Amino acid sequence: MKPVYLVEGIRTPQAKSGTALKEVPVPYLGHGLIRHLVEKHNIAADEVDEVIVGNTGNPAKFPNVGRVIALEAGLDKKTSGYTVHRNCASGMEAMSQAFVKIASGRSDVIFAGGVENMSQMPLLYKKEMTEFFFEMMKAKTPKDKIKVATTFRIPHLSPVIAIEQGLTDPFCGLNMGQTAEKLAREFGISRLEQDEFANESHNRALKAQEEGKFKDEILPIIGGEKLDDLVSEDVGPRANSTIEKLGKLKPYFEKRTGTVTVGNACPITDGGSMWLMCSEEAVEKYNLKPMAKMVDFHFHGLEPERMGLGPVLAMDGVLKRANMSLADMDLIEINEAFAAQVLACLQVAKDKDLAAKWGIDALGEIDLNKLNVNGGAIALGHPVGSTGSRLVVTLAHELKKRGAKYGIASLCIGGGQGGAVIVENLQAGDKA
Amino acid sequence: MSYTKISYEKKENIVYIGFGLNEEKSMTVLTETSLTELDQALDEVSSDKEAKGLVLFSHKEECFLAGMDVSVIQGLSSEAEAVEGCEKGQSVFNKIEDLKIPSMALVHGLCLGGGMELALACDKIAASDSSKTSFGLPEVMLGVLPGFGGTYRMPKKIGLPNSLDLILTGKQVRAKKALKLGLIEFMMPKERLLPLSGEFLFKDANHKMSFSETLTNKASDNFIARKVIFQKAREKVLETTKGFYPAPLKILDHLENNHGKKRSSYLSMEARAFGELSQTSQSKNLQHVFFLQDNAKKMEDKESIPSVKKGAVLGAGTMGGGIAWLFAKNNQAPIMKDVSEQGLKLGLKQASSVFRKAVKRRRMSEDDFQRAQRSIEPTLNYNGFQSVDLLVEAVVENIDVKKKVFAEVEKEVKDDCLLTSNTSSLSVEEMAKALEKPERFAGLHFFNPVNKMPLVEIIRHPGVSEETIRKLYKWTLDVKKTPVVVNDGPGFLVNRILAPFLNEAAYLLQEGVSIEVIDKASLNFGMPMGACRLMDEVGLDVGAHVGEIMEQGLGDRHKASPLSVKAVEKQLLGKKNYKGFYTYDENGKQEGVNPEMVELLPKENKSMSETELQMRMFLPMINEAAYILQDKIVEDAATVDLGLIFGIGFPPFRGGLLKYADSEGLDRILESLEKFAQSVDEHRYAPSKLLKDLVSDRKKFYDL
Repeated sequence: MKPVYLVEGIRTPQAKSGTALKEVPVPYLGHGLIRHLVEKHNIAADEVDEVIVGNTGNPAKFPNVGRVIALEAGLDKKTSGYTVHRNCASGMEAMSQAFVKIASGRSDVIFAGGVENMSQMPLLYKKEMTEFFFEMMKAKTPKDKIKVATTFRIPHLSPVIAIEQGLTDPFCGLNMGQTAEKLAREFGISRLEQDEFANESHNRALKAQEEGKFKDEILPIIGGEKLDDLVSEDVGPRANSTIEKLGKLKPYFEKRTGTVTVGNACPITDGGSMWLMCSEEAVEKYNLKPMAKMVDFHFHGLEPERMGLGPVLAMDGVLKRANMSLADMDLIEINEAFAAQVLACLQVAKDKDLAAKWGIDALGEIDLNKLNVNGGAIALGHPVGSTGSRLVVTLAHELKKRGAKYGIASLCIGGGQGGAVIVENLQAGDKA
Repeated sequence: MSYTKISYEKKENIVYIGFGLNEEKSMTVLTETSLTELDQALDEVSSDKEAKGLVLFSHKEECFLAGMDVSVIQGLSSEAEAVEGCEKGQSVFNKIEDLKIPSMALVHGLCLGGGMELALACDKIAASDSSKTSFGLPEVMLGVLPGFGGTYRMPKKIGLPNSLDLILTGKQVRAKKALKLGLIEFMMPKERLLPLSGEFLFKDANHKMSFSETLTNKASDNFIARKVIFQKAREKVLETTKGFYPAPLKILDHLENNHGKKRSSYLSMEARAFGELSQTSQSKNLQHVFFLQDNAKKMEDKESIPSVKKGAVLGAGTMGGGIAWLFAKNNQAPIMKDVSEQGLKLGLKQASSVFRKAVKRRRMSEDDFQRAQRSIEPTLNYNGFQSVDLLVEAVVENIDVKKKVFAEVEKEVKDDCLLTSNTSSLSVEEMAKALEKPERFAGLHFFNPVNKMPLVEIIRHPGVSEETIRKLYKWTLDVKKTPVVVNDGPGFLVNRILAPFLNEAAYLLQEGVSIEVIDKASLNFGMPMGACRLMDEVGLDVGAHVGEIMEQGLGDRHKASPLSVKAVEKQLLGKKNYKGFYTYDENGKQEGVNPEMVELLPKENKSMSETELQMRMFLPMINEAAYILQDKIVEDAATVDLGLIFGIGFPPFRGGLLKYADSEGLDRILESLEKFAQSVDEHRYAPSKLLKDLVSDRKKFYDL
């Protein structure tokens, strides 16, 4: 296998849906990132092999948003571009495909990342209504038309909410929040523990924001309804978050007995992230100074109703593949889809018997001082298609800032999977 | 028969006549030769018993016919000659209309003026759906009217109200709109035009008039409704032209008086109207302006110069944002850099507001707006500057800051990146000193607002290379602006001539002439806005600053009136803070005269004749233009006139400042200047040596 370099990864600010980025069509959550990286590293626009972009909302207007992004970014028309979908890990899937292509020597320069605009996910017509339209179009004579018209019923108009359907597992029938409730019940995770974890996420994110830690990874983007505003910070971390306030929120998914609230879950979010990934040859050719190396990746499946445990399984897989242990990791990212789910992961990671239930070895106790040090999705948000690559962006930038060497980024994937990536900081020891 | 300017071919008994044969220019125009050949060709067609159809097309890539050659119009030295010329064209086009066989024009690209009239004479028009295809009758913009039957056939084809809209404004419509108007019968991809013409020649048009169209057309047949339509149109014309332009009014009279007349008498009235208009000074002057602009567009070996792919703007204020807009509009995805996010937002706002106006007028789609606006990359650092081809600096007007910025940015860009400054008043030569490679640097002065003002001054300095000037000239043409190349000097060309105009207005105010009276005098001269209103637009602080620089650089002739300094002290800055000579509401709409400003002015009102007021303001401009020629800031009078028309909207019907001066008589102008030098101020009205020399040599500015 050839080495795979992560030259630089950047992202847009992430904003809760319906706020700063709601007007941004999906391609424009990615095109500026590529354009910036191309210009900054002086990459020839006609020498990019591929653009691979994770996206789950699949807007009808941009069925293959990866290709659209390649063109909008000003890359040569011959640049191949495609879109990948592995639910919450789509951005990580994009990076993994780039990894395989570069490691095998097929490709030299690939842009891989993810984009998601959850504000713009549509309301859909029900099947009955769609059929009604179809029949109406087929009807030629006024008589036929009237006949079709009589089949119309008011309830046909009630919309299907795409985002809600997308967040419900088609196999087990639970929505993502319900899978988190299941873990909370089975692992005995209390409401207070979840709220405390969520509050800490806000505190850490806010501190990182104040210290300007995201400055290097965020490329400001044009926002606002008139496209005359500049958004340069995440819209999500709350300065006035307290455990008490979080405690007042009503459970959202199991109204009577549940513990998962909108406060201890990640918000629906808009955002994009992108990596410039290169082979050794390209690094030399363009005289690049990559920030990191992608060591390896792993995806792992499990029962859909416990999808929240995916990160532990995936971390186990990638560590074994790389012949490393969790102790080698200086920083750990576990995506915070739900506080309950992250806390459940921590239990499985340290407990041999629990780990064995899922057929893995215990990873060891996860040091909270290494975990999600700049906050996580509960505060920063979870633009589904982007998070997989966004986690690696944040991780690599933090490794660089600390002069630390190894980091692991992992997430749970709706549908019952986990994904994880190990990166190596190439300037370890040099504190930025 | 053999033809040189048209092609003649018969295939399957359909005659194909093609224009644009043996033409070097990409835009074909009708000339006397091609018209004569067409005349003969039509005789050949009508005597050919086998011919069953006629198709007219063009050999050119993007032009059917761009109209009559303007130099032919310019060469018409009398009404009789003009009438005769029209009658000749009319008779040729009548021959098409009178053919016994069907005729059709195939239009891809421009179809304007005489070309439009030719197409109208055909039974049918089929056009390509390309965005390059457009139809129009722009004769009014040259101060005349369509004289080859356009005023007769257009209303017959698309109805009176729609025709008035086209003929009175000279505006162009794309194929899709033309189809909707019923101006054309068919629209199809351009590759299909010729192959399918034999088939479509015999097809019925599928244009169906909508109910409201039918209604309006019915109504305009009615005598009273027609009266109302003409009344409204007349009011609108007077509002937009303020009565300075005789052509639109003549067009209205002609259309109204000759409505319903038979073809022969209608056309002879059209020819007469054309003859009269063609000899007016306004028309002659508009033709002059047409050639000024046409000449500015000419550039040798233009295609050999590489195009700018990426622009950059430093400083994202109103100007910076406007320049970023211009880059973005022309697919030159600019980087816009500022030192603060606040600044960047200001620039984004400027660009967005211009784009959104286009979206509102349906000149731009929502998607194209997203793409164009998002092609602007706002940044606080120099990332990506390596890929920039043309950089425009628009930071604060301070020579030290600018020099520092240039020294800094020169290290960030590639070797062949053009560096320019949008300074309006500082020395370009001085700025060049900050650079290691001054040969790729020049001034590139835009006028505010960038989207509206067509002029760009390209400013030389001793160290600049010819290649740089040529590249900038080409870029300016590429972004559809009008370039003038000028030498360095305070205020360059346009602002240097504008300064005494505004300065004299300020002196007049201090003498006791009221704001309204001064503005009315400039408006009645034909200026697009009054002197005081213009000062509000420029900003009194900017005015005061420029005034100082002019006085320093050019001496007592430019002694600045103290009024603007006083006004700035009172925070009366003009439109930018809603308080200047006038007050403005939050949308920037002008309200009344600002009482705070009136307080700064003398209590007693001085009265002065409008002519004297105009002389007081316009003579120093003419005098300054003479100094500019004397100092070799620009080469000739034509450049001065081009600059003033497209830079500050000097009234085109006067042909330009120096054209106007020539027509008034330089001896009279010199005499008045000398009179004012005695009665008003010996410095400000001190006549230039060049002007005196011209008078003693009995020459004009345009003889230079």
